[in-house]
Amino acid sequence: MLKYLIRRILWLVPVLLAVAFITFGLMHLVPGGPWDREKQLAPQIVENLNRKYGLDKPFFIQFRDFLWNALRGDLGVSYSYQDRGVTQILLTGLPKTATLGVAAFLLAIIVGIPLGMAAALRQNSAVDYFSVFFSTLFASIPGFVLGILLVLLLSVALHLLPTGGWGSPKQLVMPTVALAALPAAYIARITRASMLEVMRQDYVRTARAKGLFENVVLVRHILRNALIPVITIAGPELAGLVTGSFIIESLFSIPGIGRLFVQGVFARDYGLIMGAILFYAVAVAVVNLAVDISYAVIDPRIRYD
Amino acid sequence: MAVAVETLRAHHTLWGDAFIRLRRNRLAVAGVIVIILLTLGAIIQPLFSPYGFAKQDLYSILQGPSRAHPLGTDELGRDVFTRLMAGCRTSLAVGIFTQVIVVLIGLPIGAFAASMGGRVDNLLMRFVDVMYAFPDILLIILLRSIFGGSIYMIFLAIGLVAWVNVSRLTRGQILSLKERDFVTAARAMGARGIYTTLRHLLPHALGPIIVAVTFNVPRAIFAEAALSYIGIGVKPPTPSWGTMIRDGYDLIFAAPYLVTFPALAIGILMLSFTFLGDGLRDALDPRLRR
Amino acid sequence: MSALLEVRNLSTYFYTQDGVIKAVDGVSYEVARGETIALVGESGCGKTVSGLSILRLIPEPPGKIVSGEIIFDGVNLLELSKDDMREIRGAKISMIFQEPMTSLNPVLTVGRQISEALETHLRMGRQEAHQEAVRLLELVGIPHPERRAKDYPHHFSGGMRQRVGIAMAISCHPQLIIADEPTTALDVTIQAQLLELLRSITKELGTALILITHNLGIVARYARRVYVMYAGRIVEHGPAVAVYHDARHPYTVGLLTSVPRLDEERKTRLVPIEGQPPDLLYPPQGCPFYPRCSHAGTCELEEGKELVEVAPGHYSACWVAQRGLTPWKWTSS
Repeated sequence: MLKYLIRRILWLVPVLLAVAFITFGLMHLVPGGPWDREKQLAPQIVENLNRKYGLDKPFFIQFRDFLWNALRGDLGVSYSYQDRGVTQILLTGLPKTATLGVAAFLLAIIVGIPLGMAAALRQNSAVDYFSVFFSTLFASIPGFVLGILLVLLLSVALHLLPTGGWGSPKQLVMPTVALAALPAAYIARITRASMLEVMRQDYVRTARAKGLFENVVLVRHILRNALIPVITIAGPELAGLVTGSFIIESLFSIPGIGRLFVQGVFARDYGLIMGAILFYAVAVAVVNLAVDISYAVIDPRIRYD
Repeated sequence: MAVAVETLRAHHTLWGDAFIRLRRNRLAVAGVIVIILLTLGAIIQPLFSPYGFAKQDLYSILQGPSRAHPLGTDELGRDVFTRLMAGCRTSLAVGIFTQVIVVLIGLPIGAFAASMGGRVDNLLMRFVDVMYAFPDILLIILLRSIFGGSIYMIFLAIGLVAWVNVSRLTRGQILSLKERDFVTAARAMGARGIYTTLRHLLPHALGPIIVAVTFNVPRAIFAEAALSYIGIGVKPPTPSWGTMIRDGYDLIFAAPYLVTFPALAIGILMLSFTFLGDGLRDALDPRLRR
Repeated sequence: MSALLEVRNLSTYFYTQDGVIKAVDGVSYEVARGETIALVGESGCGKTVSGLSILRLIPEPPGKIVSGEIIFDGVNLLELSKDDMREIRGAKISMIFQEPMTSLNPVLTVGRQISEALETHLRMGRQEAHQEAVRLLELVGIPHPERRAKDYPHHFSGGMRQRVGIAMAISCHPQLIIADEPTTALDVTIQAQLLELLRSITKELGTALILITHNLGIVARYARRVYVMYAGRIVEHGPAVAVYHDARHPYTVGLLTSVPRLDEERKTRLVPIEGQPPDLLYPPQGCPFYPRCSHAGTCELEEGKELVEVAPGHYSACWVAQRGLTPWKWTSS
C-alpha cells in the first residue's frame, strides 16, 4: 500500500506542474494587462511597472521564477492589492473556505449515511420512499439554486437568517446546507444501494448463522462492507465540494478564496488568479488522495500491490 | 408427458426496446415533456409577446405578477416572463451547442487514443488527467475572460473544458470493443466482417456516451448561469437566467419574484435533463433488457 | 432414545411476483445424536432450503415457513423467540455453507471471524477467544495457525476457506452441524480431504451431521442414513447401504446410474435422467417424478405421495416400489 501511495503522490507533481503551466500560459493570453484601469496609463508608466514586476521577462523565465518562489511558499505579488502578497491574501480567505468546506462535508456525511442506511434497513417503508425522493431531488439541483431558494424562504419570507456575510454561526447555516445537499443526496443514494447489495451477500447469512447479535451483524459485517463503495463513489463528490464552494461563496458574499478568485479575474490580477487556481487544484488533489487512503484502510483486499 | 410451453416474445431492436423502457419511466417522461414545453415556450413566446426582452418601460418598474405582466416587471420595467423565455433560449442553446463541441472534440480524441494505443494513448490520457485536475468551473471562467466576446465564445469556453469525460468514455468503450473475441474472429475471417459486426455493436457502445452527454447538458447550463451571475457571461441586452439573478438579487426583499423565477427555471430545466439522463441510462442498460 | 432433531412435515414456501414456490413441501426427517445423515437431490430440490429452515435463516419476505415442526432436543424451534433462536445458532446448531469464496466476510481476519462466535456464545474474552481460534485452525489442518489467524479470507484458497468454515462451525461445540454441499465448489481431491476431516471431527466430538449433497458417491461412505429429495419432497429414505445397493425409487436409480464409474466399460453410455425437474411454481399433483420416469407405464399419476416402508427401515414414495416391484435393474458391487 505504501508503494501505491507514494506513486500516487509522486504523480501529483507533474500534474500540478502542468496545471500551473497551463494556467500561467492562459493568463498571459488574457487581453489587456494587470494595469488596465479606468484611465489608460501612459505607456512609459506601464513599461516601468512591467519591469518592476518582472513582467517584461520572457515567458519561461517568469514561469520558472514563479515556481521557485511558490515552492518556498511565496505565491507572488498581487497586482490589485499592492500592499500584500498573494499568499497572504489567500490566507485571509482560507479559513472561511475551509470552514465552509469542512462543515458541508460533515453535514453531507451525517445526513447522507444514516438516511441511506435507514432506507435500506426498512425497505419500502416511509423512510425508504422519503430517502429515495430526497436523494433524487437534491442530487440534481445545484447548490446555487438551492441556496437562492433557501434565502427566499428563510431570509426573505421568514426573516430567520441573514442573507450572507461571515462571522456569526447563523451566517454559516444556509451556505453549508446549500453546499452539502448534493453530496448528501448522492451519499444517501449510494449508501442505500450498497447496503441492499451487501445485505444479500452470503457472508451476512454466515454471520447470522453463527448466532451473532443483530447489531453486530449490522455494524461489523454489513456496514463495514457497505461503506466501501460509498467512499469510492461518493468520495469524488466530496472533491466537488471544493469547487462548488466557490459559487456558494459568491452567492452568500463570503470573503473566501472563491470570491478572491473572481475579483482577481476581473482585475486581471495574475498573481491572485494563479494562486487561487493552484489552491483549488491542490485541494482537489488532496481530497482525492484522502479518499484513496481511506479506501485502502477500510478494504484489506487492496492493500497489497 | 411434460409439455414445453414456448413463450413467444416480440423481437425488439436495441433502440426500440430502449425506447419502450424509457417511455415507462415516468420521471424521464416528465423531464422530456418539460424540456419540450420550455423549448416551445422559448421559441414561441418572444414572437407573440407584446414586450421585447429588452424593452424598458420606466413607468411600470418593479410591478409584481399581474395580468399584464404574468411574472412581473424588473427594475427597468422589462417584462419578466419574456425575459425568462428569452433566457431559456440562451440556456438551451448553451446546453446543445456546448455538447456539439464536446462531441466534436471528445469523441475523436477518445477514439483516436483507443485505436492507436501505446504511447499516443498514454500521452492523451495523461493530458486528460491534467484536465481533470483542474477545478472545471474556474478554468471555464479563465477561458471566458480570455476569449471575451459573444455567446459563441461561451460555448467554446465550456466545451473546451467539458470534453474530457466524453473522451475518456469513448476510449473505454472502443477499447472494450477491441477486446471482444468476435473482433479477432472477424479479422480471421476477413476484415469485411468487422464492419458489419461493428454496426451491431456500435449502438451498444454509443449508449453510455449518449447518457454522458445528456448529463453534461445541465452542467453546461449551470456553468453559463454561474458565469452570468458573476458577471462574465452573456453580455446585455442578451438575457440569461444568471444575469437576471444577478440583477435582481439586490432587490430580493423588495421584489423576490425577480430572483425566484429564474432560479426555479434553472433548477427545473436541470432537473428535467437529469431525469432524462437517468431514464436513458436505465433504458440503454443491456443487462436490464428483457 | 429420542432423536436429537426431528423435522415433521416442514413446508417452506416463497411468495414471488410470479406465484408461490413450494420449495419444501411436507418434508420429514430425523437425526439421532451423533448420527450422520445425508440429504440428497438435484439443485433446486429443496434440500438447502430445508437446512436453512431448521436455523430459521429463510429471508422472511419472500420466504415463509408455512407449516410443520422442527423439534430439537425436545423444543420446537419454530416457536422460539428470535432471541432464543439466535442463542441456538452457532452454539447448538451450526451450519457450513456451500460457497467458500463468498461465505466469509472479506474485511475481517479469519481469526476474528472464528472468535466472534466464541465471544458471543461462550462469553470468552478477546484474548482467550483468539487463542481458541488459533487452536481450532490447527485442528482443521491449517498450517502456521497463529500467523494465518491474522490473514484475510482472500489469502486463502477455496479448500482452506472451507476449513475455516468448519472451524467456525465446530467452535462452540454444537450438537448438530448442517453441512450444505460443503465440497461441491471444490476440487475432487480437496473434497475427499475435507469430508474425511468432517468425519473425524464429528466422530471425535460426537456431533450429529446433516450432509446435504447431490453427490451420491460420497453418501455411502459418510452417512448412516439417506433421504432422497425431489421437487421439495422426500421420495425415498433409509439406511445408506440399503438405498445405495437396493434403490426403491426410479429417481434414486436415475441418480445412481448417471454417475460415471471407473469400473465400467468405457463404451457404456452415461444414462442421464431425461427431462427437467418440475417448475416449483406449479408442482405436480401426484408423484412428482412421473413425467420423467421411464417406468411410469404401470402407475397412476395420483399415486406416489406417501412414503411407505418397503423394506426394514427403508421407505419409498414410488407406487411401483410399494407393490414390491423393482423393474429397474440396479445392482452395485
